[in-house]
Amino acid sequence: MSRVPENPEATTSIRDESDPQMRARLAELEKTWQSPRGFIGWFTHVNHTSIGKRFLITAMVFFLLSGLLALAMRLQLLSPLNDVLDAQTYNQVMTVHGTAMMFLFAIPAMEGIAIYLAPLMVGARDMAFPRLNAFGYYVYLIGGTVFFLSLPFGLAPDAGWFNYVPLSGPEHSAGYGIDVWTTMITFIEVSALTAAVELIVTILKLRVPGMSLNRMPIFVWAVLVMSFMILFAMPSVIVASSFLMMDRLVDTAFFDVTLGGSPLLWQHLFWFFGHPEVYIILVPALGIVTSIVITFTQRPLFGYTAVVLALVGVGMISFGLWVHHMYTTGLPLMGRSFFMAASTMIAIPSGVQIYCWIATIWGSRPRYASPMIWVLGFFAIFIAGGLTGVMVASVPFDRQVHDTYFVVAHFHYVLIGGAVFPLMAGLHYWFPKITGRMIGEQLGKWSCAVTFVGFNLTFFPMHQLGLEGMPRRVYTYLPDLGWGDLNLLATGGSFVMAAGFGMILVNIIVSLRSGEVAGDNPWNASTLEWATASPPLNCNFAEQVSVKTANPLWDWHEQNQRAMVSGLSTTQRETIVTTLLDALPQSVMILPGPTIWPFVSAVVASICFLGLIFSPWFFVVGVFGTFATFVMWFIPPRYTTDPNADLPEEAKS
Amino acid sequence: MKTWIDIDASELPRLAPRTHPLWWGILSAVAIEAAVVANLLASYFYLMAQTEGPWPPAGTEAPPILWPTVFLVLLPLSSVTMWWAGRGSDRGDKRQLAIGVTASVGLALLALVARSFQIASFDVKWSDSAYGSILWTITGFHFTHVVSAILGTAVVAVYAWRGYFNPARQLGVIVDTLYWYFVAGIFVPIYLVLILAPRIL
Amino acid sequence: MSSNCESDKGPADNCITPHMTDKTTPHQTVVHGSRARAASARCDRDASRPLFWQPGVSCLRVLVLAFPLAGCEGMQSVMDPVSRDAYLMAQLGWWMFAAAIFVFIVTIGLLGVAIMIRHGDKKGVPSFRFSTGLVVAGGVLAPLTAIIAVVISGVLISDETEGDPGLAGPVIEVTGRQWWWEFRYLNDNGETVAVTANEMHLPVGRRARIKLISDDVIHSFWVPNMQGKTDLIPGQTNILYAEPAQAGRWRGQCAEFCGLQHALMGLLIVAEPTDAYDAWLDHQARPAVVTDHPGLDVFVEQNCSICHTVRGTRANGTRGPDLTHVASRATLAAATLPNTRGNMGGWITSTHSVKPGVAMPATAPPPDDLMALLDFLDALE
Repeated sequence: MSRVPENPEATTSIRDESDPQMRARLAELEKTWQSPRGFIGWFTHVNHTSIGKRFLITAMVFFLLSGLLALAMRLQLLSPLNDVLDAQTYNQVMTVHGTAMMFLFAIPAMEGIAIYLAPLMVGARDMAFPRLNAFGYYVYLIGGTVFFLSLPFGLAPDAGWFNYVPLSGPEHSAGYGIDVWTTMITFIEVSALTAAVELIVTILKLRVPGMSLNRMPIFVWAVLVMSFMILFAMPSVIVASSFLMMDRLVDTAFFDVTLGGSPLLWQHLFWFFGHPEVYIILVPALGIVTSIVITFTQRPLFGYTAVVLALVGVGMISFGLWVHHMYTTGLPLMGRSFFMAASTMIAIPSGVQIYCWIATIWGSRPRYASPMIWVLGFFAIFIAGGLTGVMVASVPFDRQVHDTYFVVAHFHYVLIGGAVFPLMAGLHYWFPKITGRMIGEQLGKWSCAVTFVGFNLTFFPMHQLGLEGMPRRVYTYLPDLGWGDLNLLATGGSFVMAAGFGMILVNIIVSLRSGEVAGDNPWNASTLEWATASPPLNCNFAEQVSVKTANPLWDWHEQNQRAMVSGLSTTQRETIVTTLLDALPQSVMILPGPTIWPFVSAVVASICFLGLIFSPWFFVVGVFGTFATFVMWFIPPRYTTDPNADLPEEAKS
Repeated sequence: MKTWIDIDASELPRLAPRTHPLWWGILSAVAIEAAVVANLLASYFYLMAQTEGPWPPAGTEAPPILWPTVFLVLLPLSSVTMWWAGRGSDRGDKRQLAIGVTASVGLALLALVARSFQIASFDVKWSDSAYGSILWTITGFHFTHVVSAILGTAVVAVYAWRGYFNPARQLGVIVDTLYWYFVAGIFVPIYLVLILAPRIL
Repeated sequence: MSSNCESDKGPADNCITPHMTDKTTPHQTVVHGSRARAASARCDRDASRPLFWQPGVSCLRVLVLAFPLAGCEGMQSVMDPVSRDAYLMAQLGWWMFAAAIFVFIVTIGLLGVAIMIRHGDKKGVPSFRFSTGLVVAGGVLAPLTAIIAVVISGVLISDETEGDPGLAGPVIEVTGRQWWWEFRYLNDNGETVAVTANEMHLPVGRRARIKLISDDVIHSFWVPNMQGKTDLIPGQTNILYAEPAQAGRWRGQCAEFCGLQHALMGLLIVAEPTDAYDAWLDHQARPAVVTDHPGLDVFVEQNCSICHTVRGTRANGTRGPDLTHVASRATLAAATLPNTRGNMGGWITSTHSVKPGVAMPATAPPPDDLMALLDFLDALE
């Protein structure tokens, strides 16, 4: 379908505001894509920019809260036999910190940034299933809030974020804490799964014409890999937590040794999810880093294919190394050796990516704006964390440091270095796109420096602590073991790091009010999200474009012309559908508009999940109750009278 | 900057049931469900492998084979009627569509009755042993899916009788059929593992 | 606290004995006892405060700070190996650490060069060959070399440290309990010879076979100076070998989160020359040295005997640690407190202020009875 113009006939862009007819069309289009206002209206939003922003903000709130919990733990560990938190409270705080950072912050934040950016980057007007998107958000919001509120109400789980049985089983954990964990985590996973389906279909089917798979921005590739990983990893944690839920609520015997159950079944299922989980967080972060490296070196990426293969490779290998969390459980050495080899294999795709970035940067004299500074911080921390990762992949060494502060140090290097630093880099990079204003440069750089110093002060000493024999998850320690000084240092560092994050928060608030107005493309980036206004229009793009290369904005600039798609309606929400591989135009999808029903569905579903804690009959209620709301959500309104315009069966999502 | 029109979308189909993103969405949902079933069956094998002695555990009969086999036959049969309904829908035969989906719902309800008989005759309770737990869980998981597929198809049937669908506007039928095939097809590995394997191995 | 010990004795030396000898001095006993009681009185939970904010360890702090356990850094450390197993693991750690530092410096150095340098064509883009070489060398060949080294060394060292070559030593069955350790010394027929708790004696130069089991939740047995950790998992028996190369005392700790008091589930390893070990085991295998004592009556009256065994007496409970030779042990409450008379008194009367949540109920017999009880326990050498 894609035609090279023999004589490119210049037509007027409909964003050309000098043309009153175009202005009227744009106004009509914007009205079609407008999200309702008002309090009730807030619950009916379906546009991905709105939902993505909510995901991001909610995730950041959970990040701050979980970070405060971390400070509380650091205060308790400040000195030996400290009594800031008692044992029970400490264990709850530790469990909620770990669980929330993983399930309520890291994954949703990555999903949020993906939901906001991926459709813009592929040039779509919205995601494939906007209402499902909204449903996923409310599920996350309600599930996450209930989970977090369990802490002030004293009902929080206290068996650690990986919740090993039999400790978390009915015999050893009475009370509602673990039930809150199993039901709410299963529930929140539903949200991760909806987002994954959403992102996969959007990326595969809603790319603008010409954006074949080999022209997709690396970030979009990373999101695609992340989504597939969610698709295949989450079911095993859902199965595991359902088993545990049933063991606790209806007396099944999955993990009961006396009745033929197995505690290790939990560990296999949990880590089959848990290990890919880490890469689910890491992979989109690598995509963010790539985007920033490209923009701030003003060069196309060196080794595009290699990086894509590396991302896909990381995704696939990550499913084959869960046993390295179980080196000490007495599995045969033969099996563990296989997983040792598989675990260290990750070093190859990671190395390829790092060196592709170095090759891209080589001699480019990158521009040292705040996003690039955060990326440089990422390099140092992530490489250090990756190297200790190779160390703990070694069976004999891991048998010493497993479940010690060495591992605590390692995974904070990987997760904060590998995910939080890129996320902050991304925040500084896309802040102008999301808000229309630049983020403060000076404060942006200083906050990075302070966070970097604080981070290393906090976590570097933990390597040493682990080697000195300090196990993880201890609420206190004896004075004579000599761990006091390094713990004091780590606690001091944690407050420096907190100050760094505080500076980011201040920077965001100040920049929102008085940041410099950004314009469409302040960094001279090459990907499509910068081809629309900042913040994006309701319809994302006044006209959908057609692309020829991987860096369309730079080409448009060079050739001083661009190709577009015409013929989309201005009165209903339309976006173009293309073929899977080559992105040839195929059809036009009509997207559904705002509705309250996803919110109602999420509320009904959350009542049912919460009810499960008290009675298994809520399962039956849940199936029928949720089904009823789904019918209302999908139902075609007044189809007999209006056969052409409103085709909600197609638009149902 | 000059802008030129590369593609005119006004000619492209708006309804395109077979290339619609929703079809891909249902496919993803099916992939998730298949992953859940794979996890459940892997758990079944894991529990079997680490149980010393016979499986099912001594004193427990393997599930009887009669009713699940009836179920195994009825479910694909209902898929055939779904397919026949879809063909009718392609040709614009609203009556064939309506009869087909209704027949599928009826057959599946019969299958559900057969399945209920079988569950009632299980020799083991879910709280008796890990074997009982995994048997009931896998069975219950699939039962719930058949119930939800029936509910969904019943709604499609209602709309079919009211003449809502036409060859262009049949996405609902197509995605429902896809899901129906999955629910019928996924029972085959479950049947092989839970019902047939303990009988012949 | 730790300096007095470090100054005159090495970490591997008997760090705990000074406190052990204290406890026989009558004067000190009284002082310790009253201080512990005073401490426990101060530390009793204030019921009016919400559970959420109650400090749980203040009493433990008073006890431990008053009577330091050991004051020996390096007593629980990966980096001070006292067995060949731990030595190999520590060496492996150092080699990998050195290699990691090297890779880190090279990679960050290359990044630095990439940022600073300006060569290649006008835009500074390096040649395709150069970039490809960089990616292949740094991204494929270097990690591949590291992988091969890590995997081979890992397999070889695991093979050695997890195997059982060498002089066969005792067979010890370890049961993890919330939150203490039970050690059963088995003879060749697998019968129990002696039972003790939280303190494991091992003969130097012989390879002890340690069977790890659990009845409640998952624990992990870890004595870093001696051997890597292995989990104790309900429903299965894991095997671990320990072969101290020198005499001394080391501390170990549960390494798998096992509930409320996971942090204070310690254990003590005492490695001795073979003859001293044999004498110790022989003594441990015997019934209690005191079987008729007014304190024993208190022990039974106060229901201690429901959970604790004192072999040779009518106390035969099995839920708690075997106390037949409790006075011979260096620590109390799972290597948390030095075993002094004062600490014992504090532990009995205000158990839950020391270690909240343990199964043992606090018991407060009348003062004379308590003294008799402590006398009895003191006598259980």
